[in-house]
Amino acid sequence: MSEERQVRTLHLAGALGMTIFSLGPILYMALTAASRRPDFLSHAAGFEFTVAHFDSVLRTASLHFPEYLRNSIVVSGASAALCVSIASPAAYAVTRLSLPGRVFFLLSVLAVSMFPPVSMVGYLFQVMGKLGWINTYQALVLPYTAWILPLSLWILTSYFAQVPADLDRAALIDGCSRLTILRKVIFPVAAPGIFSTALLAFIIAFNELLFAMMLSTDHAARTVPVGIALFEGLHGEIPWGVVMAASILTTIPVILLTLVFQRRIIQGLTRGAVKG
Amino acid sequence: MGALSGNLSPRGPAVAEELTRGEFARGYAFLLPLAVFVAVFIIVPVIGTFAGSLMQDVTFLPKRFAGAENYRAMLSDPGFWQALRFTCLFTLVSVPLELFLGLLFALLLARPSPARGLLRACVLIPWAIPAAVSGRLFQLIYNYHYGLANYLMGTFGLTDLPVSWLGTPAGAFVSLVAADAWKTTPFVAIILLAGLAGISQDLYLQAEIDRAGFVCRFTRVTLPLLSPVLVVALLFRTIDALRVFDLVFVLTGGGPGGSTTSLSLYGYNYFLGGDFGYGSAVSVVLFLIAFGLSVLYVRVGKFGRELA
Amino acid sequence: MRLSFSEVSKTFLSFRGPVRAVHGVDLAVEEGELFVLLGPSGCGKSTVLNLAAGLVKPTSGEIRFGERVVASRDRKVFVPPKERNVAMVFQSYALYPHLTVFENIAFPLRVGGEEKGEIQRAVSQAGRTLGIGDILHARPAELSGGQRQRVAIARAIVRKPALFLLDEPLSNLDAGLRASTRGELKRLQRELGITTLYVTHDQTEAMTLGDRIALLRDGRVVQEGSPEDLYGRPGTPFVASFIGQVPMNLVNASVLEEGGDLYLRLGEARLLLPSGPAARVRIINSTEILFGIRPEHIGVARGIAGSPVAGTVTALENLGREVLLQVRVDGLPLSVLTNDKSIREGEAVALDIPLEAAHFYEKGVG
Repeated sequence: MSEERQVRTLHLAGALGMTIFSLGPILYMALTAASRRPDFLSHAAGFEFTVAHFDSVLRTASLHFPEYLRNSIVVSGASAALCVSIASPAAYAVTRLSLPGRVFFLLSVLAVSMFPPVSMVGYLFQVMGKLGWINTYQALVLPYTAWILPLSLWILTSYFAQVPADLDRAALIDGCSRLTILRKVIFPVAAPGIFSTALLAFIIAFNELLFAMMLSTDHAARTVPVGIALFEGLHGEIPWGVVMAASILTTIPVILLTLVFQRRIIQGLTRGAVKG
Repeated sequence: MGALSGNLSPRGPAVAEELTRGEFARGYAFLLPLAVFVAVFIIVPVIGTFAGSLMQDVTFLPKRFAGAENYRAMLSDPGFWQALRFTCLFTLVSVPLELFLGLLFALLLARPSPARGLLRACVLIPWAIPAAVSGRLFQLIYNYHYGLANYLMGTFGLTDLPVSWLGTPAGAFVSLVAADAWKTTPFVAIILLAGLAGISQDLYLQAEIDRAGFVCRFTRVTLPLLSPVLVVALLFRTIDALRVFDLVFVLTGGGPGGSTTSLSLYGYNYFLGGDFGYGSAVSVVLFLIAFGLSVLYVRVGKFGRELA
Repeated sequence: MRLSFSEVSKTFLSFRGPVRAVHGVDLAVEEGELFVLLGPSGCGKSTVLNLAAGLVKPTSGEIRFGERVVASRDRKVFVPPKERNVAMVFQSYALYPHLTVFENIAFPLRVGGEEKGEIQRAVSQAGRTLGIGDILHARPAELSGGQRQRVAIARAIVRKPALFLLDEPLSNLDAGLRASTRGELKRLQRELGITTLYVTHDQTEAMTLGDRIALLRDGRVVQEGSPEDLYGRPGTPFVASFIGQVPMNLVNASVLEEGGDLYLRLGEARLLLPSGPAARVRIINSTEILFGIRPEHIGVARGIAGSPVAGTVTALENLGREVLLQVRVDGLPLSVLTNDKSIREGEAVALDIPLEAAHFYEKGVG
């Protein structure tokens, strides 16, 4: 076989292996969620299809799953929106206004994103407790926004830097203030980038666990990851079918988002890490 | 690193224009909300944690200044050392594994093919789902009685008896590494993919003309030009591995016997137990390790740029 | 409106230290004039334009619009672009990619808070003037370079600005389009009568468009005047060689005095200098000079009978209507433009050099 053929076969095998590696476990998750028994692999009865678990997840009031989902979506959406709104002017200032110390600003922000969450959460819990904010939306949205701002700033800076400076100059001459330029020129032109940033912010906020666990106590503000992490069976035995059903329900929206916006997500991640 | 490696100014001259006082103020006003948010919700809590580590702060006990008491207790706390050992071992094993797999994936994804978009989306999915979900998933996979892992082991005849993955320290460690690799390899792959895209195709063509084989092209062209990106991926992953929480909490709960408790989880458990002083001290140690590494990164990055 | 620069300097701060882009520039653009800033890249012409626009602040000196001081560091005055009523056409056109042509042109009016009816009227008129009335609904990405340029110009004139600034507007166009657009721009400017500052590196553009030209080099104005001034009376060798379709011949020569008359020694030839040129040479007061004569002024004929300046054709370039000859005279290279198509490479030719049209410069200066 020529080298070219060899490489191509390797590539095909590799791609197949990669797909099985990535999606195999998800498939397993889906099967368990739809199987009457979690041990369908080994048990003689084998696989029996059922939607009972899904029904259980959505209908059992004590599980609060729909509330968790609602909370997650609200908190993540608010955090993403807030993040983009705050990071955009900052990214604009960094790329267009020659302010002294802007490189230092960017580096500091980068350093902040490396802090371990556990080194903030204890203090946050105590302060939120004193404010009576435990188990409210703001208890999560505000720390989440702060937490995701560094990444948002880096990604937006990279996108804004690609908008030609001549557009700013033309707008200045046409009579715009800096804020107007941001609103009427930068936003529309960099809209795909802003969308990528918001999408990434949403996903990161949605998946967060530690803050959510410490700063919420029940279904009033608790998010889906917490619900799944703290799942308890009636007799101490984990109800795998139900857990997997909840997991599938959680991941379907994320999977859909990823499939549809795959390019945007990858672009955003790339710009956050590498020269775009 | 993106904007830093290139020019921050968008296609304009790399010169600075002095601003009037009004423009100055307005410029900083644009930065202010972000600075305030980060200061209030990140920097202040970190300082608060540092301060808290110097206190004896346990629920129902009077709060008092304790100086280095917590830290002294930490030094003789076997639980702490176990957590530190596990965290370091976990990092040392999972990071190279993920970099290797990530590189493999990136190479596979870089090749143009009709299904490339779909392939990338599929590979991205493990990254996109919550760690809590993947934790549960792998908890099931490594289940002793009916998990996928033991099923596969049995089917391929690798062992006679089912393996007690989550029941032994070694097994739990392996399952954590596997779960983490599954979840974060996509992230590494994406970053490396971008780095690969930055290598001009002309270089490969030239190498082919110079009759370099596949492996040779890889080691002489790809790897050297990819190394700056590899360093970025290395640093991001290392810091993320050091502060791992979600996966450990859900998959093993830190067990069996605390053998897979990461530093984050260790600190969290004390918070949960009401001991904010000690928990803060543990958090501070983790913070200093992560911070030290990020400073190292900036140094290495600057040094690298000067070399370039 | 009269634009004036008084001793304006601009120093930028870059990572490599201060960069002096503009140095003590004095300019006055009269009302309704088309004034061209000409020069090689890096000479500071774009900076002068940006100073006039208010995109950049002067480090020293004063800029006035009419009687009003718009920028002066000493007086602590700086009027930002939006209050100067200027309009600018960028080299890249800087059209807003997310807006239609109509909205691009309407943009300054909308920002200025004009009412809908007025906007509609003004944009339509600008569209008509520039001949783009039929593409008002299109997006910039769908347009050709020439069309985009028209949109940029339309956007600039729709506000009836006091000052019209153009930054190399023709450099991104195809050669053929450039010539026709040049004429249109000149006509438009005359019609609208707006004071205009035009930047280019192309001397042809400057000579055909400009009412007056300022030639810049390294941030300084080397010479200022009408196109005829710069063509006929270039003050330095730099100006002499920059202006002109084909660069002026600048060769080393020497001056001899003999019996009260001045002679020019060009290679082996000795040419008597008539009174006019002689007077100009005396000013230089040196025996070694730089001698300048434009290729189009040199007469050429085949054969060498009876002429003091003779040489061989070393190369030949057919420019269509004319032929550019490279002639070697006693080792001196001279370019000659002629209509005579019969001359061949390698032939011996005689040159007729009209000393009245010649220029004399000090060696080693400018």
